[in-house]
Amino acid sequence: MPSAAVLLPVALPLFAAAVIAVFGFAGVSLGRVAGGAGAWSSVLALLGVWIPVRSSIELTLGPLGYGSSFDLRVDAVTFAFGLMIAAPAALLLTLQPRTWQELSLSLLGLASAIAAVEAGSVVLTAIAGGTAATVAIVLLETEDPRAPRPGWATLLAGWLALSWVGVILQVGGGTAVYSAVPVATVTAPLFAVLAVAALLASNLFPWRTWPADLWSRRSLRAAGITVAILYPLGFYLLVRAYELGDGRYPDPLFNAGLAILGVVAAFAAAARAQAAGTRREFLGEVLPFFGGLGLTSIAIGTGLGLVAGLVNLATAAAMVACLALLPDRAGLASILSIAAAVGLPPGIAFGSRVIGVEATFEAGDLLGLIGLAGVAAWATLMVGGARAIGLPGGRGHPERETFASVSMGIALLTLLAGPAIAAIQVGFANPVASEVMQAPAAPLGGGLTSVVTVTSVLPAVSLLAPLLVLGILVYAVAGTSAIRTQARPALIKLPAGGLWHRAREGLRALTVPEQYRSILNIRELETAATGGQPLLWLAALAALAFAVTR
Amino acid sequence: MAAFAAWLGASTVVLADGRRGLALGLALATTALAAIVWPEAGPAAAAVLGLGGLAAAARRLVVGTAGWGIMPPGSTPRFILCIGGGLLALWIALGVTSGHSSALRFAVLTVAGLSGARALSSEEPAVLLTAVVLLALAVSAAGGLAEGSPAIWTYLLAAALAAGVGWLPLSRPRAA
Amino acid sequence: MLPEAAVLLVLVAAAVLFALVFAPATASRRGLLVQGGAGLAATAAIAAVPAFDLALLIILALGAVHAAIPGVRPFAVRLRAPVLAVAVLALGLMLVRVEGPDVLERFAAVGLVAGMAAAVGLLPYIHPFAPDEAVASSPLPWIAFVGPVLAAVVVSRAEVLLSVDAGQAFAAMLIGLGVVNMAWGSIATWLTDDTAAAWRYSFLADWGLVLCGFGLTLADGPRAALLVLFGIVAGRLPLYLVWREPRAEQATREGPFNLLVAALLAGSAPFVGFAARVLLLRGATQLFWPLALVLALGMLLWLPGSLRLGRSMGIPRGRRALGVALVVAVNVAVGLYPLPLLQAAHL
Repeated sequence: MPSAAVLLPVALPLFAAAVIAVFGFAGVSLGRVAGGAGAWSSVLALLGVWIPVRSSIELTLGPLGYGSSFDLRVDAVTFAFGLMIAAPAALLLTLQPRTWQELSLSLLGLASAIAAVEAGSVVLTAIAGGTAATVAIVLLETEDPRAPRPGWATLLAGWLALSWVGVILQVGGGTAVYSAVPVATVTAPLFAVLAVAALLASNLFPWRTWPADLWSRRSLRAAGITVAILYPLGFYLLVRAYELGDGRYPDPLFNAGLAILGVVAAFAAAARAQAAGTRREFLGEVLPFFGGLGLTSIAIGTGLGLVAGLVNLATAAAMVACLALLPDRAGLASILSIAAAVGLPPGIAFGSRVIGVEATFEAGDLLGLIGLAGVAAWATLMVGGARAIGLPGGRGHPERETFASVSMGIALLTLLAGPAIAAIQVGFANPVASEVMQAPAAPLGGGLTSVVTVTSVLPAVSLLAPLLVLGILVYAVAGTSAIRTQARPALIKLPAGGLWHRAREGLRALTVPEQYRSILNIRELETAATGGQPLLWLAALAALAFAVTR
Repeated sequence: MAAFAAWLGASTVVLADGRRGLALGLALATTALAAIVWPEAGPAAAAVLGLGGLAAAARRLVVGTAGWGIMPPGSTPRFILCIGGGLLALWIALGVTSGHSSALRFAVLTVAGLSGARALSSEEPAVLLTAVVLLALAVSAAGGLAEGSPAIWTYLLAAALAAGVGWLPLSRPRAA
Repeated sequence: MLPEAAVLLVLVAAAVLFALVFAPATASRRGLLVQGGAGLAATAAIAAVPAFDLALLIILALGAVHAAIPGVRPFAVRLRAPVLAVAVLALGLMLVRVEGPDVLERFAAVGLVAGMAAAVGLLPYIHPFAPDEAVASSPLPWIAFVGPVLAAVVVSRAEVLLSVDAGQAFAAMLIGLGVVNMAWGSIATWLTDDTAAAWRYSFLADWGLVLCGFGLTLADGPRAALLVLFGIVAGRLPLYLVWREPRAEQATREGPFNLLVAALLAGSAPFVGFAARVLLLRGATQLFWPLALVLALGMLLWLPGSLRLGRSMGIPRGRRALGVALVVAVNVAVGLYPLPLLQAAHL
């Protein structure tokens, strides 16, 4: 496989974006076909580059000018995250109608995100990821300037922090290439900055942030693309951090801390979900819940946890497409989507969460308690899911943007794929663990039909397949008639939602006391500084002269 | 003597508001600087410098506020500046620094310093342009402090600037 | 001529060309050509002359001619800063040439730094500004046109003239002034009442990065400074010129185009500002890592002001839109691949 092939997953959507833009300026809209073709070509390119060889392919083209070379790489991690980003985006671009400007921007964002996961060095990832974030913001504004969007400051801060990590690695270790960084360079302070960058990039926090807020937009075209291309990137950084640290984080406290953050975020999402007022509001918390548990699994530091986290994130990627295409009306599509989201057996979400919890128990000590907390959060989400079936749908979305059958198909697929979790682990997640952990603490085995851990075996096929058959039988007999929807009160009442808002308003209302205003009058200060006062200039000169004598 | 004359000329420019006073100060400073520059840079440079400064002085004689205007009411701070600045420059030139011609050091310090201070303290275009000329002459003269013999170009440019700046068309500020 | 100065000169010439091509129909292109050409010639002369004294005289002449251009601000106000700059630079130059105690060289460094700041119009020597003044007679030519080349020349001369000890003082002052200008410029861009003043302060903020870059005495510092100067001359200045053009609707808006402009002005990826920031952080980390932390936090301050400026652009149409698209494209290209520019400047 020629190394130039690694360019294809990035170059093809970029080319498609350019073609769509050129035709768009000429007054011809190429429509969904071109957009879908551009995005699917990226997916196919990833598959075509990785599957034949299943080992790392790298392309290095020389320095760029800021200490990094043009270094792209397709390995197991790139493949996994690339698929998570490109596949849902491709589906959305194929189905949902968009203006040519939105198509171009979406493909540009996709190309940038793929470039971020293909980048061979930290600095290049920061630049590509920052580009993806910028494009996503512009895309959201193009669609609807008044609808919620991510805070630009947090996104920029995250990618700036990552670029700082990259330059520290260059200064301290001579390189920021993931596979070449000396382990000793990855110190605890550096990892702390990296972790902050990852958390900011995906906004993995216990409070409600853009991964949930975006789902409340009137249209979900841009929201779906944004979540698809941006949300996985923070997790990508945390997975690559294992590679930087030769298979582990520099301090076990980071494993515990991030895992705790993850489970707190998941629990908070579940708590908000079960108190939701509409089904759309409930579904908006699904991604943060997946992300929280994904963070927990990835952070615990074992190979099993990592693969559980990756399968969890892959399921979340499927749910992005599912939720973006789901109409707000009641029906089988909504029920199945909720079932898939809450992780009903025998779905793949169920399987990944079980493995994730098992991984925390095997990791031992405090981490086992984190697993228990994860189970509690999961149970809360399930309660919320049961309640959500009876909730009103939401504000509704344009009919032409929703595809109930496709959404239902995706949800059904995640439910049906549960028995195949072992195969998915082997083909999709295990190579990632081998890539970044090289010598995982416990071997991941089991083949295509079961997941073997240190202390137990999860016979995926033999356990989940009968459950699946049972579920199909029950549905065939009873249909949906047994489901009674009714309004149910929330299990946990959240504190008044206005608390944060009131605190912010209180801060804004703060004023300088009257007697100090003359000192802190910004306008007067500005006038003094810009008035061209010779005395001020001479005083500044004297101050500088004094300073150099110290 | 030449250094003192340079200081006197610069001080006259600082203390004068009328075009005659400005022209006198400029002429005096020019002559003094030319005399100081002669041993270092040669007669050609001195002549060029002198011509430029005197041309500027001649132009100043006809453009600006009429009369001498030397030490008008309220000029006490400027007077103190001239005395204080001169003493400070003298101390630096003789006591702190060494090397090349002390007269040149003193002249450059006083002329550059006083012309800069004059530019900061006046609103009158004629005064400002006179200060610009003085500063240009001081900058070119300071070339003599560098190692090696100074090139003629600096003096030529300073002279051209001195002679030409008085001819700038000035308009009143207008509202946009 | 210094390679860096030559590169900046080419950029400045391109900026003049941009102003000519994208000037509104009502503007006098002949006047623009004369003024722009004269400024360009003077700037080229500053870079090309062999002696620093000659450069000072050219700055003085340029200051006088610029102050004489008809404008809103009085002649005296416009002339003061260049005269102070030249006087201070000359005194600094004098102190470095004479023999005396070592502290004289440090004072010379003060003169060079203060003179450069006064010439360009940076804090604490901000040139008085009238929002309704024409661009040619405003302080913008100093901060965005002559200033880049002037700064490159002054810094390169200082490296030759100053001793190691004085050079460190010079670098430290540049960094100190740089941080101050960054903070003041970015906050003032956000909070000041007038939009024209906000634009001017945004130049100040970028210059803060430039000064920090010049003050970092490692290879990455001047590289970062060059990239920021590129962003000023080939990004911020053309956008400011487009903003200045009279247009039918004056209302601000926040659409996708405005966000794109804001991203460029804020130094987000993939624009040249981000590459410059990466280099700055690298240089600062090598020198003194807390400085890198201060710079990184300061860089976030660009956002609110840039959003404001982006919104102020409205919706450009026709030639204005083309001009903005060109600026965006060039900034993206250099932001992703700055190596050719750096190699041209021998950095």
